[in-house]
Amino acid sequence: MISRKASLLLIAPALALMAALFLYPLGFSLVSAFRQEDGGGWGAGNFLRAWQFYSADIVFSLVIVGLSTLLVAFLAAAIAGYLTLGENRWCLAVLRWLYRWPLFIPFVVAAQLMRTFLAKNGMMNNALVELGLLTPFTTHSYLDWRGIVITFVWKQTPFVALLLAGAMAALDRSTIEAARNLGASRLRLLWDVVLPQVRPSFGTGLILSFVTMMSVLSVPMMINAQTPTLLTVDMAWRINAYGDYGLANALGLIAYAMTGLVAWFYLRQGLKENR
Amino acid sequence: MIQKTEAQPHLGRSISLSDLHLGYGGRDVIAGLSLEVRAGEFIALLGQSGCGKTTILRALAGFVPVRAGRISVGGTDMSRTPPEARGMAMMFQSYALWPHMSVAQNIAYGLKLRRRPRAEIRARVAEMAALVGLGDLTARKVQDLSGGQRQRVALARALAIDPPVLLLDEPLSNLDAGIRATMRHEIRALQQRLGLTTILVTHDREEAMSMADRVVILEQGRIAQAGTPEEIYHQPASPYVARFMGLGNRLEARVEQGLLRTGNGTLPTGGLHAPQGTPEGPAEILFRAESARLGPAPGPALALSGQVVSAFYLGSAYRHEIAVGDDRILVDAPQRHQAGTPVGLHVPATALSLFPARSQTSVTGQEAAMAAIPTL
Repeated sequence: MISRKASLLLIAPALALMAALFLYPLGFSLVSAFRQEDGGGWGAGNFLRAWQFYSADIVFSLVIVGLSTLLVAFLAAAIAGYLTLGENRWCLAVLRWLYRWPLFIPFVVAAQLMRTFLAKNGMMNNALVELGLLTPFTTHSYLDWRGIVITFVWKQTPFVALLLAGAMAALDRSTIEAARNLGASRLRLLWDVVLPQVRPSFGTGLILSFVTMMSVLSVPMMINAQTPTLLTVDMAWRINAYGDYGLANALGLIAYAMTGLVAWFYLRQGLKENR
Repeated sequence: MIQKTEAQPHLGRSISLSDLHLGYGGRDVIAGLSLEVRAGEFIALLGQSGCGKTTILRALAGFVPVRAGRISVGGTDMSRTPPEARGMAMMFQSYALWPHMSVAQNIAYGLKLRRRPRAEIRARVAEMAALVGLGDLTARKVQDLSGGQRQRVALARALAIDPPVLLLDEPLSNLDAGIRATMRHEIRALQQRLGLTTILVTHDREEAMSMADRVVILEQGRIAQAGTPEEIYHQPASPYVARFMGLGNRLEARVEQGLLRTGNGTLPTGGLHAPQGTPEGPAEILFRAESARLGPAPGPALALSGQVVSAFYLGSAYRHEIAVGDDRILVDAPQRHQAGTPVGLHVPATALSLFPARSQTSVTGQEAAMAAIPTL
């Protein structure tokens, strides 16, 4: 047996790394968010200014990321559901092969890709014009809030679908068969039997996606250069243009509070159900 | 326990399997199986694991595709009908209850799918819960129930939709011995009262015999024998069935001029159960430990002499291992005989099953290998 002290010693390097690389910078940014710009001292000045300048962006971020999370939830459930309940072998093989691709593409590349795809004379509009569904004069660009949502959904759906399909594959198949045996259609199977049983994985996947999307800088920078935009862009701007770390950190804390709120809702729901 | 309620008896539908072929991958597990089940009949499919009994049940429910042949229910061909449209209720070995639903929600689900009015569903759930003896547990979560209670929920869920056919996949195998005996009786009583056509899959012969009207014994995807429990028990059609029905003692023998000879005993073949005839030549005899006696037996019997090797207590009797020549057999007796005691034992002719020795084509791999070694 290793003594208590010796085991502390064993994990000390890992703890030190955590403290130095994670806890210290986090603590520092939290503290500096409450540090006043002019003359030092403590206060909520940074937050007041953040709200004054960027209240529209805060709401915009919440709406865009929330909407993207909802769409990701819907599509991931559809994909994982088909992978679990589908019976057409050919469709299953193609879907299984295709759906994971966006996972391996970085956000910045995805944004670049969407720029060429969604622009006024991008690939999508060109294709629609070729098909005769639009004329060159009626096309318009999707490089605004819609572009951000499309890119986020395209990039994050495979991640949640992957988690979800794994959880569904681990389900007791007989619970699905029992429902089918009693007369449940595919859609009802998914809604009544499969999804409720994989809720923990689903929730985790969606929260991780929410956090990821909240922290992406490249996509709003490249797709939506106008205002309102996402908080990450404002933070980068405050730091790069003004060296205003206090306000940037205050915005960071607001973003952190938004994700924390979502996580708290989710955890509370989970606790309620387990009671 | 199960209470009497006003469940309306109705007749289940007949089932006809004709020349059925089922399988997984490149292999046919069931090849050319035919079976007729009368409406309201209780059939037990009995066999070792891997004999294809669960495959048949799953094919009836629609989860295993029919490769060739026909499954018809009440005269309608259902071979290609998807599981959700068959209207059969299956009870799974693992019960397959939905952990995120309460007992009442589990039982009600089939009715909810059928869009019955809420009041009717509530009444039916209460009726089913009373029927299977769940009483006031309907508000509980499934995880809070014991094995026996879960089994009752699974049964209630299956019965709630008023199915014409009930499929039971080893429903009692996860229960402890005491509850199993009661549930056997209860399921049988329910089936009789509701008049459901029921197919039970099991590897437990007592379960099969005590519950079913007819027992079908499967051997490697084929029907080895089908008959009433009494027929199967007393008149096994093949050595496989005999061994499966507990005729655990096997002795090699010869039939010569109407006389059975084995080790140190002889017996006329006249009164023996010999479903495959009594051709002259090598044969095997099979009998149960409980039908042999250490001491004289009334009526014609095969007399053998041997020596006690060991004895162990079963509760109702002592089971003795006896060496008869090079063979070892098991015999029950009310008193313990010490190891080493020479004994005379008798097997009544009515308790013996005689089969011609297996032909060369059916010998086991090891026997074939032994036969292939040239004698020096």
